[in-house]
Amino acid sequence: MAAVVLNKVGKKYPNGFHAIPSIDLDIKDGEFIVLVGPSGCGKSTLLRMVAGLETISDGELSINGTRMNEREPAERDIAMVFQSYALYPHMSVAGNMGYGLKNRGVDKEVIEQKVNDVAAMLDLSHLLDRKPKQLSGGQRQRVAMGRAMVRDPQVFLFDEPLSNLDAKLRVQMRVEIRQLQRKLGTTTLYVTHDQVEAMTLADRLVVLNQGHAEQVGSPLDLYERPATPFVAAFIGSPAMNLFSAHLQQNKLILGQNESIMLECDHSFEGQVVWGIRPEHLEVTETEGDFKMRVKAVESLGAETLIYGAIEGVNEEVVLRLSGPHQPEINSNIELNAPQDKWHLFDANTQQRL
Amino acid sequence: MTVTFPHKTLPWLLIAPQLLVTLIFFLWPAGQAIEQAFYQEDAFGLSREFVALENFIELLQDPYYYNSIGVTLVFSMAVAVSGLSIALVLATMADRIIRGQMVYQTLLIWPYAVAPALAGVLWWILFDPAQGPIALWLEYMGIEWDHFVNGGDAMILVVIAATWKQISYNFLFFLAGLQAIPRSLIEAAAIDGAGPVRRFWDIVFPLLSPTAFFLLVMNIVYAFFETFGVIDATTAGGPGQSTKILVYKVYEDGFVGLDLGGSAAQSVILMMIVGLMTVVQFRFIERKVQY
Amino acid sequence: MIENRPWLTFISHSVLILGIIAVALPIWVAIVASTHPAEAFGQGSVPLWFGNYATETWQTVLFSAAGNGVDVPVWQMMFNSLVMALGIAFGKIVISLISAYAIVFFRFPFRSLCFWLIFMTLMLPVEVRILPTYEVVAKLNLLNSYTGLALPLIASATATFLFRQAFMAMPGELVEAARMDGAGPIRFFFDILLPLTRTNIAALFVILFIYGWNQYLWPLLITTDDAYYTLVMSIKRMVSVADGAIEWNSIMATTILAMLPPVAVVIGMQKIFVKGLVDSEK
Repeated sequence: MAAVVLNKVGKKYPNGFHAIPSIDLDIKDGEFIVLVGPSGCGKSTLLRMVAGLETISDGELSINGTRMNEREPAERDIAMVFQSYALYPHMSVAGNMGYGLKNRGVDKEVIEQKVNDVAAMLDLSHLLDRKPKQLSGGQRQRVAMGRAMVRDPQVFLFDEPLSNLDAKLRVQMRVEIRQLQRKLGTTTLYVTHDQVEAMTLADRLVVLNQGHAEQVGSPLDLYERPATPFVAAFIGSPAMNLFSAHLQQNKLILGQNESIMLECDHSFEGQVVWGIRPEHLEVTETEGDFKMRVKAVESLGAETLIYGAIEGVNEEVVLRLSGPHQPEINSNIELNAPQDKWHLFDANTQQRL
Repeated sequence: MTVTFPHKTLPWLLIAPQLLVTLIFFLWPAGQAIEQAFYQEDAFGLSREFVALENFIELLQDPYYYNSIGVTLVFSMAVAVSGLSIALVLATMADRIIRGQMVYQTLLIWPYAVAPALAGVLWWILFDPAQGPIALWLEYMGIEWDHFVNGGDAMILVVIAATWKQISYNFLFFLAGLQAIPRSLIEAAAIDGAGPVRRFWDIVFPLLSPTAFFLLVMNIVYAFFETFGVIDATTAGGPGQSTKILVYKVYEDGFVGLDLGGSAAQSVILMMIVGLMTVVQFRFIERKVQY
Repeated sequence: MIENRPWLTFISHSVLILGIIAVALPIWVAIVASTHPAEAFGQGSVPLWFGNYATETWQTVLFSAAGNGVDVPVWQMMFNSLVMALGIAFGKIVISLISAYAIVFFRFPFRSLCFWLIFMTLMLPVEVRILPTYEVVAKLNLLNSYTGLALPLIASATATFLFRQAFMAMPGELVEAARMDGAGPIRFFFDILLPLTRTNIAALFVILFIYGWNQYLWPLLITTDDAYYTLVMSIKRMVSVADGAIEWNSIMATTILAMLPPVAVVIGMQKIFVKGLVDSEK
């Protein structure tokens, strides 16, 4: 078990491209950290730098207090689960799982014992003699995890491990990964672009955008107090409604001709980004803060998503209601936006107000 | 591929054998050929003299050299065209057959493994003017045949022998090309009312054209450089100059005629032709990736 | 088939059978010819049906002397051919494997220069640079030797090129996984790379074996000693004797023996060979 510390870690490619300018991250022993962000945000690069598969251009990486920058991947006492699983196609399941130990010169009996233990934990015992080709997607995933676990490393690294599975299996494996990590207590760094995966797995999330850490915090932190509009839009599904607005003399003004004006007790003056989550908008029978014209309805049974436009301003809005609802297309719905659910960001600095 | 091993000496050790063999048996000879092409040497190798481009000029004024170019072109086109068309017919038929396809394939591919020289000898005996069954049959039909005397007959003989060996190769590529055409495309055309013949010309043939072009290049390369054995074992370039392809002339002028400078100049020109063909082939491979 | 047209299927079979007969015709004549005594030739047509001289012809050719001026028996030339073919096939596979490995999996100075030096040889057959290569081999004192037969023909980049393609197609994550598992360059080569390219190696072996076995001009030039004659080139020596004196029966028997090993390899390893040939040339 180990703490992982990234101190001003940066990545610059020989062609001059600065993939990651500088990132600080303190990972506590046994913590489950998820790196999340859109593709190209640098999350995989960061993970691969921790793994030793990419060189670190600036800053320092240390595991358990030891500097790791110059160490070979095999010397860092880490294990990685790859997106494609990267199982050796010509080796059996047992061979795949034991290969790392074999290379370290561990005794045959010890390897067998460890492989058997991990296989039992992952429900793979009956598959040990099979080749990867003969396994289902979920089983291959498990073997990849088993290969990482057998080594009993200081740190687990996961690079989008669930993206090749179908939706149902993904949920199942997600739960399983979380349970295993709790049980083993191994420090874990997990990369995904799926915010649901990120929210459900993480002790703490790191939201990355163009190589910057936009925000680091627990899933609920990020949901309740996103630091930037980027995080606000990225976390939560459907995404938060974000509008550009103007704050002036305790009034929030939407649209060009001041058609919507809401009371606001914030003292900030100037351009802002105003956000409210689809589930925080309230339907009212009397006149509300604004009207929404219904364009499309998605009934999911347990909840209903209503897509529409705010009357008077040219803005799209999403409303999320629990239970079934059947509003007419093109009908109007009166909505209230309670002020304690607002998210306000300075439009210039993109920081939360 | 970004994944590499950090190591200083190991890669050199790994690449050394290939580099050595390449340097000794390829670059050194090639360099010598280029050097020799600018010198004139007496037949005993006792003295030599720098003659600049004279070997090349001589070559380009030599009617035999032009004849050899013509022979090579006729020969390679004949081999490529007949080999490709026969193989295409056979592959199209084999593609139609579901049961027994493997048997047909087995019985058609083995000539690939026969050495060109042996192919030449095998067809020689069939066409031997004195006793070959085909030659005698031709005579019976009223057609004179003697490839030892008649240049045209000799050309036909080497074309047949060279083509015979190459059909297997073409057949395998055409069959693979045909099998790579999505069944659904053919079915869609059938639903659109196209019969088998129409489907072949409208759908199959256009989709096969990359394969066909690739094979055309490979067949020309084959006819240019790999048919030495066919010719040497049967006609030895004769009668006269009628089957003396470029590669044969390089050999003959060098080893029999002992005209080292002239032979080297021919080698240099051939190397340039090979280079050109390699470029064509690479261009083609690049294009095919996008296709 | 899309539609069921019996006559089309019938035509297909007929054309293929016709093709097979045409392709097999020379072999038929060769086998038949080898069953007649030498005197059966030169008068009228070559025999088209079996004679009863088979044992004599084959025994002489195989064990005493191939005849027609070649004084060594076929089995000895067969051995020479085998040494040459195996030498070329193994030699080429080994040096190509390791050089492709160096080029793909390492970064070292002059890497691209090495790459181009090797790849210049890609399509240049020995026939084109025959005279200077002969001189080099003569200077190295390698005439009339197995090394001289095989080594110069190993200098071609085709196999290196194919292995390079195969290595580059290998999923990057697999290589990374091996590195995380602590496999160094040597271990990685033997544990991962070699097992994963074994079908490529097998296919290439077939192609190179045939290439080596069927070499003609090169052995013709550098062997003057009968003891180093290869089977394929001996045919040339045999048909070069004075016209009329050619013993066609022994030539045909030798021819059949000369084509037997490569044909057997192609048919025996047909699946791997076909896949390897078609895939590799793409």
